[in-house]
Amino acid sequence: MTRAQQRKIEGGIALTLSTLAAFLGLFWLVFILGDVLVHGIKALNLSLFLSDPAPPGMEGGGLKNAFIGQLLITLFATMIGVPVGVLGGTFLAEYARGRKIARIISVLADIMVSVPSIVIGTFIYAILVRPMGHFSGWAGSVALSIIMIPVVLRTTEDMLSLVPWTLREAAFALGAPYYKVITQVVYRGAATGILTGILLSIARVAGETAPLLFTSFNNSFFSTDMKGPMSSLTVTIFQYAMGPYEDWHAQAWAAAFVITVFILFLTITGRLIIKWRYK
Amino acid sequence: MEVQVVADTTEIEVKGLDFYYSGDIHALKNISLSIKKNNVTALIGPSGCGKTTLLRCFNRMHDLYPHNKYAGEIIFQGSNLLSRETDLINLRSRIGMVFQKPIPFPMTIFDNIAYGLKLRGISKKSELAEKVEKALHHAALWDEVKDKIHASAYELSGGQQQRLVIARALAVEPEVLLFDEPTSALDPISTAKIEELAGILKNDITIIIVTHNMQQAARISDWTGFMMLGELIEFDKTDKIFTAPSEKLTEEYITGRFG
Amino acid sequence: MLPLLKKNPVDLVFSSITAIASFSVILFIIGILYVLISESSLAIGKFGVIKFLTSTDWDPVKESFGALTNIYGTVVTTFLSLVLAIPVAIGIAIFVTEISPNFLKGPIGAAIELLAAIPSIIYGMWGLFTLSPIMSAYIEPFLKKITANIPFVSILFQGTPMGIDILTASVILSIMIIPFTASIARDSFNLTPAVVKESAYAIGATKWEVIKNVVIPYSKLGVFGGIVLSLGRALGETMAVAFVLGNNHRITTSLLDAAATITVTLANEFAEADNDVYLSSLFYLALVLFVMSFITLAIAKFFLLKAERKYSR
Repeated sequence: MTRAQQRKIEGGIALTLSTLAAFLGLFWLVFILGDVLVHGIKALNLSLFLSDPAPPGMEGGGLKNAFIGQLLITLFATMIGVPVGVLGGTFLAEYARGRKIARIISVLADIMVSVPSIVIGTFIYAILVRPMGHFSGWAGSVALSIIMIPVVLRTTEDMLSLVPWTLREAAFALGAPYYKVITQVVYRGAATGILTGILLSIARVAGETAPLLFTSFNNSFFSTDMKGPMSSLTVTIFQYAMGPYEDWHAQAWAAAFVITVFILFLTITGRLIIKWRYK
Repeated sequence: MEVQVVADTTEIEVKGLDFYYSGDIHALKNISLSIKKNNVTALIGPSGCGKTTLLRCFNRMHDLYPHNKYAGEIIFQGSNLLSRETDLINLRSRIGMVFQKPIPFPMTIFDNIAYGLKLRGISKKSELAEKVEKALHHAALWDEVKDKIHASAYELSGGQQQRLVIARALAVEPEVLLFDEPTSALDPISTAKIEELAGILKNDITIIIVTHNMQQAARISDWTGFMMLGELIEFDKTDKIFTAPSEKLTEEYITGRFG
Repeated sequence: MLPLLKKNPVDLVFSSITAIASFSVILFIIGILYVLISESSLAIGKFGVIKFLTSTDWDPVKESFGALTNIYGTVVTTFLSLVLAIPVAIGIAIFVTEISPNFLKGPIGAAIELLAAIPSIIYGMWGLFTLSPIMSAYIEPFLKKITANIPFVSILFQGTPMGIDILTASVILSIMIIPFTASIARDSFNLTPAVVKESAYAIGATKWEVIKNVVIPYSKLGVFGGIVLSLGRALGETMAVAFVLGNNHRITTSLLDAAATITVTLANEFAEADNDVYLSSLFYLALVLFVMSFITLAIAKFFLLKAERKYSR
């Protein structure tokens, strides 16, 4: 075999392996999504959304409590996380632009994005759950908002930095003070990007389970009282999937289906907006 | 229309102006000149000569960045606008600016022009509508946009956007308008329209324009300052600068020997 | 602060509010560290640092706790999942940047992003119901059989294949971190300037030689940063492994045994800890995990920033 042939064969093998790797990635996606779809759709029915859980071991019942709980916990987390994140990102990209402190906070926020979420659960347990004496929806929301803040903060910073500096100069030249330049001109210029970041951050926290395990905990009954323990889809999936009953497993699949569809919908929407607006 | 004031009333008097960018870069050296009211004053010179730096002194744009330093005086209506007491927000509503590239805000055409007015505290709908229309007429844009005044400003062509930005600056009725190479990003037809507009606008306001294009300076200005390496080499009536400059450097530049 | 600000009181207020909001990030980090240290002080006092980190005890009844079994489980699953994920992730990145026809780049890129968006609890549940039976019925017996006569390697596959074990957990974890690693590797590969690649092609290099000798060396800082970032994420992942690892506080040499990671122990035992020493030891575990992952992530960030600076030159 000549040297040239040898090189060609080596290249061919390497490139084939890479291609196989790519299709392996695709394979997992199809496998996992397909599985969730097939099992999930089979277990979907109206009473899943409209009734509360049946006693353990009994057939039937639904997960109304978990749907509502998930919605409330995520909603309040968003209401805390978005303003803090957007304002924090504004500081980094505007008032502290180019300063050392902005770089430090930006790097720390990047690290916070990947800090184990279960640790944040233990933190909230110590500062909210134990002092209050019981698990609560609020504790869950606060835990999720701590995960959300660095995500929103970093995307806001990036999106504001993409707004050309000349736009700010043009507004300054009209005699606008900086806070008006930011809130009335720069935010508009970055609105799509920031909104997309918020969508993706909601998608991120909506699937979180670990930080809810010892904050909002669980509740087998329907409750809208944020001051008490509250059920969520994700914690319910964990409990039901690990439980002994076939009916629980089916409901866990259905819940997994709903939450996956919700999160993929947010993610795809976000990606499409980015593609349409920034490319 | 206002009564034409005697053509040589001084609007702005620059006295011994020095300017340093952060890091002590000496960008303007001992500049003195007077800007006449209701005249167009052009600043020309090779890139990096300091003409834009000088322009941005008039509305204190340099104050947006830390560690920039001024020395000397710029007298505008009796007081030194470089003094610490100057209210920059008020100053910038009286001395407007139009930039190199058209920079509309991400809003509708109407809101772009109303924005400056709202900053001044005007909120009455009828008054806003009236002033927006007046500004658009003034910038010779009204006929082209009157049917889509609530469309996004980004839908306009480059030339139209630049006139929109001029209308936005005019809406707050400034006394002086600064133009920073306003046509360098535009096609010849749009350029002609802006130049024509400058000729009309000077009936009401004083214009200072930085331009790269010597023919443009010759066509539209009454006074021309030629700058090089941060110094004002020569400042005189435009006719004089382009026909019989007193400095050799000026002559070399306008005859195209360098720059 | 920009000088303009001094003039306007509203600006002063607004900038202060934004400053407080951004400092919340620092506050969280210091707060978490402070709370975890003070909550675990009881256990720190009782077991010390070295003894806690090296003890294999985990006995709620005798109130004797050590972190080693948990750290062992965390390190082994993380390491194994990286070994499985890195080649696939790099392969995907090579395919997307250098091989794929243009019409496939979009869909495969999108598939990777979607894989990254699926919440970890879905991975965990899928692992329990779908992957675990496949592992115990086919893959694990197969691995057992082919390694049976190889000395040392056979130790890794002793015991009954149950599907609830270190191997299954690592496979799921690896599927989860493939997209993170792949997308960072892809972004790094994309930063290789076309001229550099072209000059290698111009001297007659094959496509694979260009990738191997130009693209990978050029982007190795970024790829390495991406791998460390994935390591940091894998260390702290809870739900993907909680379903299929069992909760077994023993150090085992077989990959077919159940084990416990720090996260799995926390998830299973935290809400049920019934005495102070037990709870304090769990906080101590959380502290160990927080410090481990924070340091790992900081290292990852360091390399990624260095790579960014190198490419932007």
